[in-house]
Parts: sequence; C-alpha cells; structure tokens
Amino acid sequence: MRRRIRVFDLLLGLVALLALAAMYAPLLTVALFSLFEPVRRRGQLSLGPFSTESYRALVNNGDILSALGTTLLVCALATAVTLVLGLLFAFFHVGRRGIARHVMQVLIFVPFLLPPVITGLALLIFFRQAGVERGLATIVVGHAVLIVPVVYRTLLVPLQSISRSLTEASYDLGASGWQTLAWVLLPQLRTALIAAGLLSFALSFDETFVTLFLSGSETTLPLRLWAMMRVGLVPEINALAVLVLALTTAITLAVAFLQWRSRPATG
Amino acid sequence: MTRPQGQAALFTLAALGLPAVFILLPILSFVLTSFWQLRDGQIVESFTLENYAAFATTGGFLQVYGSTLLLCAEVTVLNVALALAVAVFLVRRPPALRFGLLMLFVTPLFMSFIIKIYSIRGILGQRGVLNEVLIGLGMIDQPLTVLLFSRPAVFLTLAILYLPYALLPIYLALERIAPNLYEASADLGGGLKEELRHLVLPLSLPGIVVAAVFSFVLTLGDFVTPQMVGGTEGFTFGRIVYSQFGLALNWPLGAALAVILLITCLAVVALAGAALGRRAAL
Repeated sequence: MRRRIRVFDLLLGLVALLALAAMYAPLLTVALFSLFEPVRRRGQLSLGPFSTESYRALVNNGDILSALGTTLLVCALATAVTLVLGLLFAFFHVGRRGIARHVMQVLIFVPFLLPPVITGLALLIFFRQAGVERGLATIVVGHAVLIVPVVYRTLLVPLQSISRSLTEASYDLGASGWQTLAWVLLPQLRTALIAAGLLSFALSFDETFVTLFLSGSETTLPLRLWAMMRVGLVPEINALAVLVLALTTAITLAVAFLQWRSRPATG
Repeated sequence: MTRPQGQAALFTLAALGLPAVFILLPILSFVLTSFWQLRDGQIVESFTLENYAAFATTGGFLQVYGSTLLLCAEVTVLNVALALAVAVFLVRRPPALRFGLLMLFVTPLFMSFIIKIYSIRGILGQRGVLNEVLIGLGMIDQPLTVLLFSRPAVFLTLAILYLPYALLPIYLALERIAPNLYEASADLGGGLKEELRHLVLPLSLPGIVVAAVFSFVLTLGDFVTPQMVGGTEGFTFGRIVYSQFGLALNWPLGAALAVILLITCLAVVALAGAALGRRAAL
C-alpha cells in the first residue's frame, strides 16, 4: 500500500515537472540567449561569449521605445479609469437594493466571459458606427471594458467587509458623502486599491486581442512585437522579453503578497 | 436637499449607463452588422441572411470550423488531464510548499502573451533548440519540420499557454475538500484507488467542468497563437474571423462568423451548466 502511494506521488510529480519544464524552458532559453547570443558553426548551435549587446541594441531601438511609451501611457490611463469605475460599480453594488445592481453586475461581467476577439470586434464596429476614430482613446476604452470586472471583484470583497457603522459614524459627525469617501472608505480600501491597480496595469500592459482591433496609428508593445516577429528575429527582442518578464513577474508577486497579507485572519 | 438626490441619480445613471453604452450597445451593433451586407466594398444596411448562408454552404468555412472545434477539444482533454494530475500532486504537498508551487504554475498567466509565444517558437523552429537537442542526443538525423508552422505546433503551444487556466479551478475545488474526509476514507478501509474514485474525482468535478469550459472557450477565441505558430497548416476559425476585419475586409461576414463563434461558446457554457445542474440534482 505504502509503496503504491509513493509510486503514485512520483508519477504525479513527474507530470508536474514536465508541465513546469514546458512552461519555463522556452522562457529560460530566451533569457540565456539575451546574454549569450547563439551562434551557428557548421550547423551546430552554440552559445557565444557573454555580452550585453542585445540590451544596448534595445535601448537604441526607437521603434520599440516609442511602442513602450505608448503602452505605458495606455496602462496608466486604463489603470486610472478602471480604478474609478471599479470603485463606482462596487459602491453601487453595496449601496443599492433591488434588481439594478444585479443588472449592472451581469453587464460588466459579459466581456470577461466572452472570448476577447468578440469584445474587440464588437467595440470596433460600435466605434465605427458612432463615428469615433481609432486611437489612444479607443484602446483605453477596450482595456477598461476587459479589466473593470477584475478590479470590481478585487474591490467589492473588502468593501463588503467594511462595517456599516463606520460610515454611519462619519455621517453622524457631520461629514458629507465625499468626505466620508475620502477619509473613511478609501483608507480602509488602500491595500485592495493597490492590488487592483497593479493587476489592472499588468493586464493592460499585455493586452493584445482587443488592442489589435482598436488601435489606429498608435502601436503598443505587444502589437509592435507581433509585427517584428512576423518579419523575422531581432536580437533585442530577447533582451526586451527578459525585461518585460521580470516586470510582470514582480507585479504578480506583489499582488500575491498583498492578497496573502490581507487574507482573513481565520484563513 | 436636491443636491444629494441629483448626485444619487447621476450615480445610478453612471453605474447603469456606462455598461449599457460600452458593453451592451457594441454587442448589439455587432450582432446587427452580421445581418447586413457588403456591396462594392460598402456596408449596406439592409437585412439579409446571406452571411450565415455563406457559412453553411461554403465547404471551406465548415471544414475549418469543424477542425478548430476538434483542435480545441483535444487541447481541452490534454490540459484537464494534466491539470488534474498537477492539482492532486499540489494538494498532497505540505501547505508551506504548496503555495510556492502553485505560484510557479500561475505566474505565467500574467507574463506577456506574445513573448511566451515568441519563446515557444524559438524552441520549436526547424533550427530551434528542440531540434538541436534531439539531434545532439542522436535521436534524429534531420531536423523535424513538423515542429513549427503546423497543426501539432498550434496544439502544443495552446496547451502550454492555457494550462494555468485549467489548473486553477481544479486546484481550488480540490483544496476545499476537508482533510477529515481523507481520514474518513482511510478509516473505512479505503485505499488510494477508493480515495481517488469516491472522494477526489466527484468533489473536484465542478472544478473540472469549469477548467474544461475555460480551456475550450479561450482556445477557440485565440486567433493570435494559430497565426504565429500555425503557418498555412494551422488555419483556425478564429483566424478566419479576424481576417474579415483585416485583409479580407468583409465586416458583415466577419460579424456573422463571430456570432457563430459566440453561439458555440454559449452552447459550451450551457452544456457545462446543465452537466453541473444534473449532478447537483442527483
């Protein structure tokens, strides 16, 4: 019996290891190639000497840098918009009774449940019919539509756990609605807001499917990379990949840490 | 007194109006467009079913639709099986180790999608790392060309990219099984086989169904991966939809094909809901 369990665990472990290898080996290869540019001698692949050349080339690649600039701008705008809207929807859900709040919740979750290609082309057709030119604004709207449900969920749970007596005490002391929001509710939601903001930033940074439909002459980093890869390989892509992976991994770990720290004490 | 009331009305208007304008209206206008037609490069707003007729009667569309469904089903089966094995492995680890391992599997979810595809492509190419390693080990003489720009390449890349989406729901379902249920199983003389069959599998079934829906719907809607690693052989339905908005530039037809994609997704979700509902009724 004991032995069978051990064999079972060993097999499962092998499957897990294989899955991890399939997920990480390509990424590690890219990281390796970014520092040791692969060279080919008589058909044999080998690693060149250590060099930071690809990183230097990256810093001098204007196309990539301008795409990065656009992406950061989109991320900042999308994060701001989704935080405000996420708060708005969360307050609406907590503050209202009746069917309206359920209608609102179902509506904002629709793009989350649909394949993003549907959301992207629906917004494309909508903007065209409304006479809106594609550009930075349409990209931000597309990102907001996709990301708001995530931010909303992240804020709703802690908001629901804030005691009603806190807001009532604030009103009894003569505070207005806005004062209560600024001095009582937002400080209570600080951790959740940071986590939601980071999530929003990370999701917007990487968004590809909807952006492909909604970008005009602007190009974001994922779109630029896609275009570059269709043409061929450029060494600086390896360097860029490493930097982007490092950034997104750091954000993920930060969110995980925040969520873990603010977990209910009983959990 | 009127100011707070005015603010409350504005609040309601924003909370219901914004989703109505930016979510409901776009979906309605996209469905409506699928019933319009293209005449001389212009969209004509007169009702027609010819876009849907084109899907039903054009052999190419139906064939790609069928092969895409099959591809997504294959990825779903592989990933649910893999995710189940990994999730069972994770919950059998001590809690301290478990969270770290889970993070290892989940972190790639937030990594750049395009860069993940790029890195996988570097491994699979004809002069890629995998071919070099296989030749180096003496397992093959000539580089395998099937590894990239082929249907197997799309299958493999989709499986790697979407595994975390399958793992999370199954893991969360397994984690909720109370430890004393395992003890009860052991006390009743149940071995590993009984534990898996009568405890782990039935209690993780909701997670398995959600994992299957995630895998299927996400891979069905992904048109970027097949384009980047599929070449001409890995043509999928999602790519056909996207091309109607790019090169082919036939929005009404593209919208109709996307409606079919949408209905397929809704059918899968409904099927999953029915499966879970029937189980709950038993």
